[in-house]
Amino acid sequence: MYLVANIDQEICAATSCRLCTQYCPEANTIQYGTELGKDKGFKYGSAYVSVDRCKGCAQCVWVCDNMAKHKAIKMEMIDQIGDQALTENISYHEKNTTAVLASPWKS
Amino acid sequence: MSLDYVKFTPGFGKFMPKEYRDMVEHGPFGKKTTVSQVGTFKEIMEEHPMCAGCAMTLFIRLAFIALPNPEDTIMVGTAGCGRLAISQAAVPFVYGNYGDQNGVASGLSRGLRLRFGDQPKDVVVMAGDGGMADIGFSCTLHSWFRQEKFTTIMLDNEVYGNTGGQESGMTNKGQVLKMAPLGKKFEKMDMLGMAKVAGCAYVATVVPNNPRRVESVIKKAVLIAREVGPTYIQAYTSCNIEYAIPTDQVLQDCKDVENDRYQFTEYISDEAKEHLSTLYGYKEYLPKPVAAVTKG
Repeated sequence: MYLVANIDQEICAATSCRLCTQYCPEANTIQYGTELGKDKGFKYGSAYVSVDRCKGCAQCVWVCDNMAKHKAIKMEMIDQIGDQALTENISYHEKNTTAVLASPWKS
Repeated sequence: MSLDYVKFTPGFGKFMPKEYRDMVEHGPFGKKTTVSQVGTFKEIMEEHPMCAGCAMTLFIRLAFIALPNPEDTIMVGTAGCGRLAISQAAVPFVYGNYGDQNGVASGLSRGLRLRFGDQPKDVVVMAGDGGMADIGFSCTLHSWFRQEKFTTIMLDNEVYGNTGGQESGMTNKGQVLKMAPLGKKFEKMDMLGMAKVAGCAYVATVVPNNPRRVESVIKKAVLIAREVGPTYIQAYTSCNIEYAIPTDQVLQDCKDVENDRYQFTEYISDEAKEHLSTLYGYKEYLPKPVAAVTKG
């Protein structure tokens, strides 16, 4: 098992700063969905991780803790984080992306 | 080399992998994408074999987002870590022999100008400090002296990271590395000074700590290289393996080095300023109105 980034969407959607997406060294790994969190009353959406591309470097954790000061990202074992986005489930729209969340261990 | 090559042959789209379909349908080709939109479109760079948390990867990713016309760009690289990521992208990549990347780019840039005339075709050289300041030093300097019109980007990790940690010309004086146990004996080479002396129209240093600055610097360098002359960007992209930086501290290291010895500097020639303001609408380079002199 290995660690991947896991974003707490409630904390993230409250601010929607998008910094982690800009500082991730891997392309299309931390994505941004403007629909995420709308069911909980947040307006601007949240970041999410496509776990099959995450190499577990934890730069996003440093960015979220020290630059954005939101502490919304934690490194967690991939088999213990439940349903997560995978690259094959991501669809792009005009201004955002959406992910049909699927557990990597079920599919 | 045009928007025509980023589309499907009719009837074959459904057989292509998802990443390819996303690139054609939601990629940045023919659109204006910026760093602030990142995470909402398919990026040019794909998965690559570079180390986790590498600052060089972050810089290369930002550079691909910043290219003004990715569909009209050719990247040229050489041996070194950077090529592992630069080659995994939907932009043509030419791999020069070690050190001759600026020579290859010179011919490529001239050939494209002959073939396509006024239509902009950008050539961007992206190579490491070893390929540019040590082994490819003569090709690099000569291309600047000849005023070849393309962009040169140095990925300066201050070490030969790919071969076990030998010192390079860009390593700092006294630095002890795995394959330089006595410490480096001479100062870091002043490539910025040499670029200015050799007549580069635009010279800048950046650290990937500031994505929007990286974007702005690369856009300017590529646009200036279309018409005015050679441009040079030197980017600090630490090697977290050879310098033993924990991956979650890579950005802290970037910040420390930026404050210490890699402050943002930018040199832009007057001709380049005029070029940017008249052709591409950069308002900050418009000539300042001269205050009326009153006699009396």
